[in-house]
Order: sequence, then structure tokens, then C-alpha cells
Amino acid sequence: MVSRGCCGPLSELDVSVGLWAVLVVVGAALGLDAASWPQVMISRPIVAATIGGALLGDASSGFLVGAILELLGLGHTPYGAAVYPETGPASLVAGAGLAASGDSGLGPLLLAVACGWIIGWVGAATVRLQRRINGYLVASLAAAAPYRLERRHRMAMTIDALRAGALTAAFAVPVMILVKLVSRLPTGGAALPVASAVLLVAVALAGGVGVRVMGGRRTAPLLFGAGGAAAALLILLTG
Amino acid sequence: MEPTRSDRVSSFLRCFAVQGSWNYRTLVAGGLANAMLPLLRRIYAGDPVRLEAAVSRHLEPFNAHPYLCAMAVTALARLEATEVSPEKITRFRTALRAPLGAVGDELVWAGWRPFCALLAIVLFALEGSPWVATLFFLLLYNVGHVYLRGWAFWRGWSAGFDVGRALQEAPWNGATRWLTVLNAFLVGAAVVLVAWRTPGTALLRWEVVLALVAAAAVGYVRPGLGERVAATLLIAAPVLLLLLGG
Repeated sequence: MVSRGCCGPLSELDVSVGLWAVLVVVGAALGLDAASWPQVMISRPIVAATIGGALLGDASSGFLVGAILELLGLGHTPYGAAVYPETGPASLVAGAGLAASGDSGLGPLLLAVACGWIIGWVGAATVRLQRRINGYLVASLAAAAPYRLERRHRMAMTIDALRAGALTAAFAVPVMILVKLVSRLPTGGAALPVASAVLLVAVALAGGVGVRVMGGRRTAPLLFGAGGAAAALLILLTG
Repeated sequence: MEPTRSDRVSSFLRCFAVQGSWNYRTLVAGGLANAMLPLLRRIYAGDPVRLEAAVSRHLEPFNAHPYLCAMAVTALARLEATEVSPEKITRFRTALRAPLGAVGDELVWAGWRPFCALLAIVLFALEGSPWVATLFFLLLYNVGHVYLRGWAFWRGWSAGFDVGRALQEAPWNGATRWLTVLNAFLVGAAVVLVAWRTPGTALLRWEVVLALVAAAAVGYVRPGLGERVAATLLIAAPVLLLLLGG
């Protein structure tokens, strides 16, 4: 997996097999945390993307990717059997991808966020499959000997960790290569403000959805506006 | 036989894995039965037939918020220990699903978790350290998380059939309303601060501000449409940058 000595910009992508293996193990742990065990929320984008960024040498870029993914996911709450993007492995890969590019400019950031969002939905599909497998494992225990229940419960959790690890293994290096390639393409001029505005409109849309889903009351839009105004004022005052 | 302290600790620790075998047929029932096992083994010590019957009973479909599932674990185990009839236990178990799901979803998924995450994002934007913000989030969130699981577990045992009253008298009642208010404010602040932190943003141009306000309004009024448009724009943004910039 060491791509040093390859061609063009990829020659600067310094990812060893050891680092890839660490990402896979961390991805498995993050995937497990989301629902199976122990739900301490290391799987949230702001944590997972920061870890991914830190492993590749830039925790700050990782956190920014995580913050954007966190805001985009505000409207996706895990009520009952709801389907929502899987955040842990996806944010880890996105944060690592941006940090590996060595460029925290807008182009790599946009691509890392988009990759994180898409992988999140791929992860959601694998979670649905896993839950069907769990159905065969656990729901078939009609007259249950306790030790069989314990064994199958552990087996379901192991499958979940393997699933999340496989997801990370499949996407980590391709995303790093993609973001690295984009960081080398010319992305200047009028394109920058247009693309950043498009991203921010997406974030604002998701913020509006989030306020509504989190139990929007009549005063919620006013409070949302007041929060935005307070932040803008703070930026103006602090420069 | 009454469960010992170590049985309860073992059961409590298993509550952290209550969704470990979540599935579309019995939902969280596998995890619920698994968490109850240390208590049931003590209650039905020396009677494997009744133990298996109890396990089968609790493998019937069940769902609740994962943190408040701990309350179902101990409340149901208490009824098993006091030899309430299986029919009554099954009826009570069915009645538990809605309140434990609704209260937990509103308090944790819609309230506490976004509150802690949004506060961490604001902290990062103002303070600049990803590690301070991340550790702040994990610490704050998990103080509430572990407290809620612990409260639910120990209160469930003392409440038994009175879970409804215990939920009404819960010390965190009223917090949900305040979290909703604070979250609406924090989302607005976080969107602006993230925009400020995003490279290449001309945040204070009036057309950008207008676009953000309009987008947030559309997301609030039409959440379904807002989600779809946000996802489309998210994918479109890097493509636009490459097409226009190249």
C-alpha cells in the first residue's frame, strides 16, 4: 500500500500498510460504537473525522470535515428503525482523505465531505443487510438456551465490527487518492466563491431541516436567526 | 432468589450492548434478553425450564430507546423475581415500548446529542483546537449518557410496575424543552461559524447571507425537500468547482 515512488502527485501519498491497518481497526471500532456497543459517540462525525485527520497528521482539517458532516446529518435521527447515514467509518475516511492530501483548501474539503456523505449511505445499506442477518441469528431462537443467546449476540456484534472494518478498508485508500488528485487540479477564480456558496447553502438547508426535526416550535426560526446573527456579530467584533 | 450486586453490575454492563443484535424481526429483544440474563439466572437458579421460558418471553419483539432499555431490563426482572404471571409480564412489556422509546428519542437523539455536538462545533470555531472540542463533546455527552443509563437501570428495579410514574418524576424532565430552544439557537450559530471557517467563503456578502437564510427557511418549512436538495448540492459543489475552475 506504500505508494511512495509511484507516479505524479500520488508519489506524495504516504500511506503504509500499517497505517491502513490502523484505520481499518479504528473504523471497525467506530462502526461498532454507532449502535452495537457502547454508544459513547466516538462514531459521531466530529470525533471520527478528527481521529481520521489526526492519524494522517491534520486533526483540524478532520474536525472541519466532521463539523460539516455533523450539520448535514442533523435531520437524520435514529428513531426506531429509521435509515440514516452511518457516520463512523465514513467520517473517519473523509477526515483521513483530506489530511492525506496535505491541502486544506476548498476543493479537497468539498470532495472529502461529499465522499463522507456518500460512504455514509453505503454504510447505511450494509447496516440494513447486517440487521437482516441478525434476524436469522437471534430471531430464530424460539426456545432459547441462554448460552446460545449470548453466543449469537456476540456473533452479531462481531459481524458488525467486521462490516465497519471492511467498509473502511474498501474506501480509505481510494478516497485519499481521489482527494489528493483534486488538490492538484487548478480550482481558482470565480469557481471558489460559487462552490463554497453551494456547500454553505447545503449546510444551511440541513440546519433548517435539523431545527424542524429536533422539535421545531413556533419560536425555532427566530432562535435559529438569533444564533446566526450572534455568531456573525462575534465574527465582526473579533475580526 | 434476589439478584446479587455483581449480577446487577453484570446486567448493567450488558445494557451498553443492548442493540448488539438489533434486527427487523424482534428489534432490540435479543439485547434486552441478553442484558437480563445475569438477573434471570439468579432469579431462576436451579430451575432451567423456567429460565428458558423467561428468556423466550423476552425474545419476543421489543423496542425502546437503547439508554432507557436499562429501565425495561430491571423493571421486567423485578416482575420475574416477584413471580408475577407471564401474561401480566407480557402485557406490561408491550406497554413499556412506547414511553421508553418516545422519551429517550426526544431527550437524547433530538436533544442532548445535538446540543453537545453543536456546542463542540461552536467551541472549535471560536477556540480553534480540534482536540479540546472533541474531548469536550465526549466528556459532556457521556456524563449525561452514563447518568441516564444508570438512573434508568437502578430506578427500573425499584419502580417495577410504576415505570410510568418514575418517568413522570424523572429529574431531567423539562430539560427536553430547554434543549430544543438552545439547539435552535446553536444550529444558527454553528452554520455561520462553520461558514466562517470554510476556506474560500465570502460570508459577509449580502447575497450569500440571503441565500443561507432562504435555504434554512426552505429546510425548516419543507424538511423532505430540504434534505434532497442539500444532498444534491453537496455532490454538485466539488463538480462545480472542477468544471468552473479548470
